[in-house]
Amino acid sequence: MNASVSAAVTGAIRTVLHDTGRDATSIEPSMLLSADLGLDSLDLAQTIVLLERSLGVDPFRAAPGASPRPAIRTVSDLITIYSSALTPS
Amino acid sequence: MTATISGIPDAPAEDRLAFAIAAIARQSPDRVAIVAGAGGDDRRRSVTYAALAAAVTGLEAGLEAVRPVGVVARATAPEALVAIAAACGRQHVPVAFLAEDSRDLVGELRDWVTLDDSLALPARAPQAARREFETVPPHVVVATSGTSGPPKLVQHSWDSLLAAARLAEQWHGLGWLLVYDATRWAGIQVWVQALLTGGTLVVPSSRDPDVVARALAQEQVAIVPATPTLLRRLLTSADRTLLAKASPARITLGGEAADGPLLEQSQAVFPQAKITQVYATTELGEVFRVADGRPGFPAAWLGKSLPGGVRLSTRRDGELLVQLSRDTAEVGTGDLVERRGDRFEFTGRRSDVIVVGGAKVYPKRVEEILRRVPGIAETRVYGLPSAITGELVAAEIVLSDPLPEATTPDQVRAAALAVCRQALEPHSVPRVLDIVKRIATTAAGRTPRRPSVAATH
Repeated sequence: MNASVSAAVTGAIRTVLHDTGRDATSIEPSMLLSADLGLDSLDLAQTIVLLERSLGVDPFRAAPGASPRPAIRTVSDLITIYSSALTPS
Repeated sequence: MTATISGIPDAPAEDRLAFAIAAIARQSPDRVAIVAGAGGDDRRRSVTYAALAAAVTGLEAGLEAVRPVGVVARATAPEALVAIAAACGRQHVPVAFLAEDSRDLVGELRDWVTLDDSLALPARAPQAARREFETVPPHVVVATSGTSGPPKLVQHSWDSLLAAARLAEQWHGLGWLLVYDATRWAGIQVWVQALLTGGTLVVPSSRDPDVVARALAQEQVAIVPATPTLLRRLLTSADRTLLAKASPARITLGGEAADGPLLEQSQAVFPQAKITQVYATTELGEVFRVADGRPGFPAAWLGKSLPGGVRLSTRRDGELLVQLSRDTAEVGTGDLVERRGDRFEFTGRRSDVIVVGGAKVYPKRVEEILRRVPGIAETRVYGLPSAITGELVAAEIVLSDPLPEATTPDQVRAAALAVCRQALEPHSVPRVLDIVKRIATTAAGRTPRRPSVAATH
């Protein structure tokens, strides 16, 4: 599960960079979304839309009253939040 | 060939449709009133004025006997809808037209009698549904198209239904295209207009561009009332050789704003056509017409009294305000305009504005830029909800067929994004750009601005 989520997340980021005319370098889990990859809030919003299409969930559209979501700073943070959203609780 | 219908304008509004059909049937019984299934393969059928008049008379006799409080027209055949309207009008029976998406509103009319294509009335209306005295004036009920909320029923007088009809002789005996839904306000006005003036109503068997183009050519349609979305689809997707055989005299655009490239393209494809843009709203009816082939309206019109006493002004945010006459209040239209040179051009509906991280994006402007990209035939821009930025700009494109030489779909998509990045602020550039086979249109023939249609694929 984690491997496919990880592939989906890096794939989505790659598409966002490509669509916005930037060169997609290698994407590592430890990379900072903003400082290392240069993603701004629009890029993140696009990444989430792409992931909703490929994975079928949007963990950011949380139900009212849900616990506040953790800060998303790295590629690995994104992989974690999608993995837990896809794991039946 | 023209038909002169004397004396019709003097009759009460609710009687005119039945009177006109009967008068034309007497003069030229074999004249074709309606061509249904036009442009299709084998479902074409034509209805003469004599046949239509007979249907009206038959239904009138039934209405006189049954005396229902109202009639809900559930027919799908255009000749049945016309017969129901004409008979109900002359018999002073209120009549409701319910489009497919508003059928659940029928509960509001529960005592009314329903008529379908067979035009068969029940032998007796239920006691509660019998109309002993005339308590309400005859009227027409239609459902709104639901662009700004769920569909609701609106009551119109026959006078307001006929107000926009052109009865002068130059309008007699012409072929009218019906691409609008026949049960909606815009569609009803087209068939009422066609049949009041001895014309032929041409109803294509579908909205498929080739079918519409074939109907235009084969039935010698003179007048094409359409939304810019429907016209654009016809011009970009229909077979060129079919289009070349059509020669409408007039194209009347309404329901949405038309942009410059569409007006130029229409004129290039139909050089003999006079193109008129009608600006109307559900609440105000027709406000003005522009026929100079350019988008928007002359900037000089603002603040002046236009023919009919209409005054236009703008709110600070660019919303167009209309004052119909000196005695009426100024009304917000929900349409945004922007000064460009000597014109005011429409930038979109206020409710269509996409808000990305607090910044406004006008979908129509993004669509205009996308349409200039070689290889793109049609496009639609809409807002996609986002937890991060509130909304995100999304677009669908239909590729032109054939594509420009040595171009792949991926290259068109990449070129589209590059053009947008160059021409637009970062938040206005589409973040989702899908290549689709066709752009959905709303029931009213407009371009939808909500994601629901796109999200399904």
